[in-house]
Amino acid sequence: MRYDSITEAIGNTPLVRIDRAVHGLNNIDLYAKLELLNPFGSVKDRAAWNMARPHLAAMAEEGGQVVELSSGNTAKALAVLAGMHGLTFKSVTNRMRIPEIKDLLLLLGAEIEELPGQSECLDPTATDDPLTLFHRTLSEPGGTHLHTDQYFNPRNTEAHFTGTGPEIVKDLDGRAPDWFIACVGTAGSSTGVARALREHDPAVRVVGLVAAKSDFIPGIRTIDEAHEVGLFDPGTYDTIEAVSADDAIEGMLTLNRRCGILAGPTGGAAYFGAVRQLREADRELTQRQSAAFIVCDRVESYLSYVRRRRPDLFGSPRRRNSPADLPESAIRTAPAIGVTDAQAWIATGEPLVVDLRSPYAYAALHIDGSVNIVDELFEELLHGGLPFSRNRPVLLACPVGEKSARYAALLTRMGHPDVRSLTGGIIAWRDAGAPLVRD
Amino acid sequence: MGGQPLYLEPRLETRLRALLASPGLLHTLTDALGSPLNLVVPDQLADNVQRFRSVYGTHHLAGQVFLAHKATRSSALLRRLAATDAGVDVASLGELQHALGAGLTPDRITATGPKNPEFLWLAARTAVTVSLDTRGELEQLATLVRKHTLPRTRVLLRLSGFETSGVRVLSRRSRFGTGMGEVDPLLDTVERHADVIDLVGVAYHLDTTSLTEKATALEGCLRVLEECRSRGLRPRAVDVGGGFGVDYLADGGQWERYTTELTEAVLGTRPPLTYGGHGYGLRNEGGTLRGRLGLYPAHRPVAGARYLDELLSHPAVSLGGRPLAALLLEHLYDLHTEPGRALLDQCGLTLTRVLEVRDQDAGGPLLVRLAAKADDVALEEHGVLMDPVVVPREPAGAGPGTGTGTGTEPVAVHLFGSLCLESDLITRRTVFLPRRPEPGDLLAFANTAGYCMDFHATRAQHQPAARKVAAWQEGGAWRWCLDDQYWPTTPVGGAQ
Repeated sequence: MRYDSITEAIGNTPLVRIDRAVHGLNNIDLYAKLELLNPFGSVKDRAAWNMARPHLAAMAEEGGQVVELSSGNTAKALAVLAGMHGLTFKSVTNRMRIPEIKDLLLLLGAEIEELPGQSECLDPTATDDPLTLFHRTLSEPGGTHLHTDQYFNPRNTEAHFTGTGPEIVKDLDGRAPDWFIACVGTAGSSTGVARALREHDPAVRVVGLVAAKSDFIPGIRTIDEAHEVGLFDPGTYDTIEAVSADDAIEGMLTLNRRCGILAGPTGGAAYFGAVRQLREADRELTQRQSAAFIVCDRVESYLSYVRRRRPDLFGSPRRRNSPADLPESAIRTAPAIGVTDAQAWIATGEPLVVDLRSPYAYAALHIDGSVNIVDELFEELLHGGLPFSRNRPVLLACPVGEKSARYAALLTRMGHPDVRSLTGGIIAWRDAGAPLVRD
Repeated sequence: MGGQPLYLEPRLETRLRALLASPGLLHTLTDALGSPLNLVVPDQLADNVQRFRSVYGTHHLAGQVFLAHKATRSSALLRRLAATDAGVDVASLGELQHALGAGLTPDRITATGPKNPEFLWLAARTAVTVSLDTRGELEQLATLVRKHTLPRTRVLLRLSGFETSGVRVLSRRSRFGTGMGEVDPLLDTVERHADVIDLVGVAYHLDTTSLTEKATALEGCLRVLEECRSRGLRPRAVDVGGGFGVDYLADGGQWERYTTELTEAVLGTRPPLTYGGHGYGLRNEGGTLRGRLGLYPAHRPVAGARYLDELLSHPAVSLGGRPLAALLLEHLYDLHTEPGRALLDQCGLTLTRVLEVRDQDAGGPLLVRLAAKADDVALEEHGVLMDPVVVPREPAGAGPGTGTGTGTEPVAVHLFGSLCLESDLITRRTVFLPRRPEPGDLLAFANTAGYCMDFHATRAQHQPAARKVAAWQEGGAWRWCLDDQYWPTTPVGGAQ
């Protein structure tokens, strides 16, 4: 397939049947609409392109900035589209909680502004909430902003009404599925697809999925947050159900590991919510039905999100020579030396003084003649074996003598005959009036 | 009543729970001293100091915990504080006098906030540490010290307007502190007055619940301290201010259910939950929710000492990603904190007597009038939504409701104050109580010691301001005295 522009690759994504052995539904064919295969990686490519397209050519003439309130995929797509047209992009958000996405946006040249947190000493009469201020700056005279306004822009919904929805019908041989399940973020895809499917068959049952209130699932709003979305109309959905972050990750793992679909947690939530919803209906069915859900984006951007919630999935093999393996008794009895004796010892010129603090702290003040190996790096070195000769005595120093004791114990166990920890650390050294220098 | 009662039950630790389980004592106190009546529990403050200290311990950090005096006027609490090893942060001449009089020595006092010459003079005269907002204030202090031949004064420089690289973190502008762009001339001034000014460190205080903003500020402070050292100055502390917060509610589920229902009430999909359809900052525009919920996040599991722990564990993005605590420690800096609300968590409650309980002709919530003004229980002023606890006059089972079925079912009420003023509402929301209160019962508002007890209280319409009582436990019984009669020697088990 040959294209003149990457934007032509937006849409026409595959609809893939999920193996019955995976979902366990006997009478329902379950299909995944693979929006993760859009060129910028998510379902938002459609909305971003449809919202920005009418304005980009004119904007490109005079220059200017595309602006959106987005913490993820819409920002990513708009950043790319803006860049392709010689424009800059700014995302304003208070929901940017995925570090990989933040970094990716910066890499794509986006500017990110984070809204301030809530006031601790609340002023109930304050009227200037951050969003009001945001809209005020957009309307300042002389500004050349294109605010795509994804939560209120009907062209967001339209992208799915004319694209995603009809594509599903076409791939199901001209029939709408009996069920449609979607997560509610901007409500653009769920509303647009639902409208297209119902136009085809008013009996389509639409399930909206929101995040459980105490949970955070990227790309999905809680029910309270959904009410803040202009495109959200509770009447669109036959039922609105909550999904927890744990459920979303479970669903994601099933798609990743058993279906070969590298979906992120949003797609996982849709899969989990779909199967949960359909299981009951499935039991009472006597004829075959079909269901479709949207796989919003890919897993790769959410590794830190998943790691925080499911560290068990990342179980890495134990490494040798790790300070974590030492018993407390070994640390308590690690060879140590007080400040006065340490000063005398250093004066003999024998010990190598290793300062385990960060380079910034070391640069500010340190023991004269010491070398700086920050503890993280030191630990890494020790996995490979002793980093000094056995006949070179070593004095280890850290802020309070805690980490240095740990490493002195470890080096001793590794066979170093003369390593000592500076008791009380650099703080005790300073408090004793011993000299610290800057180089 | 319409649907399930939407309770917002207060979180009660042992002491407040025990007090509320002593209705005889509470009624005796209000009978003698009137309603409203404030109760403080000084021993709780010592426990709270300990919780902060243990976070310092975990991170091996030295430094002082300063109670932000402005959060309470209580003498008992301040004197109890003096008997611990903590300090106090004073923001007026009166507070400084009060702190000195309560037994806090100058090495345990920091003077902050807007200062008049008298306040500056007494601070410099008694050798407390002064936190300076601007270069002008620094000049003013230097002149004062020279003119009155006062001792060389220890100062902290309060900074503001911190900037980030990469992601721009927008922060509310502060009217206090010197902007980061003005640091160089400020340090020039410090050096010029080195004979009368001793720079001990830098400070910030941001009015935000956001960890990211505070982490950004702390990183900014570390950079300024590094600049100080390169100039040959020897600062040794960072003061990170307060704003650690309090977890007011017992049950997160109740808070979530309540805020969802409030949203629906604003959108008109359920009956109103407030007097006059007040939306607490939310409004309905064509079926879409607009505005921002102007409420304190009352259910806040990460608050107080735990919040400090999170802040200290937060990675310093611009300084190699090490946790902030590790950076402070490695740079050999002491950490100062100024918690107000968080140190006063569970340190007191406000008692109010029910004067009248009226059914509305058209049905709906009961109208309950209290012998207190809205400003006596300033929870609403701080956006804190929390139910009062009903303390019945008659012991359970002996009341007039016994056997008749009244007084045992949950009720919805509106709470009115005693001022002759339409807007004197203790809270604008409909409050759900587990039983119908009767005139003579007490409603106890828990956890009011921080800001909600005496910060806003007035004597409008010649109505009394609440008296204050200090209470402590001795041999399994509660003892009490008037707040200004309390000294650490007062309890029999104390240091006599």
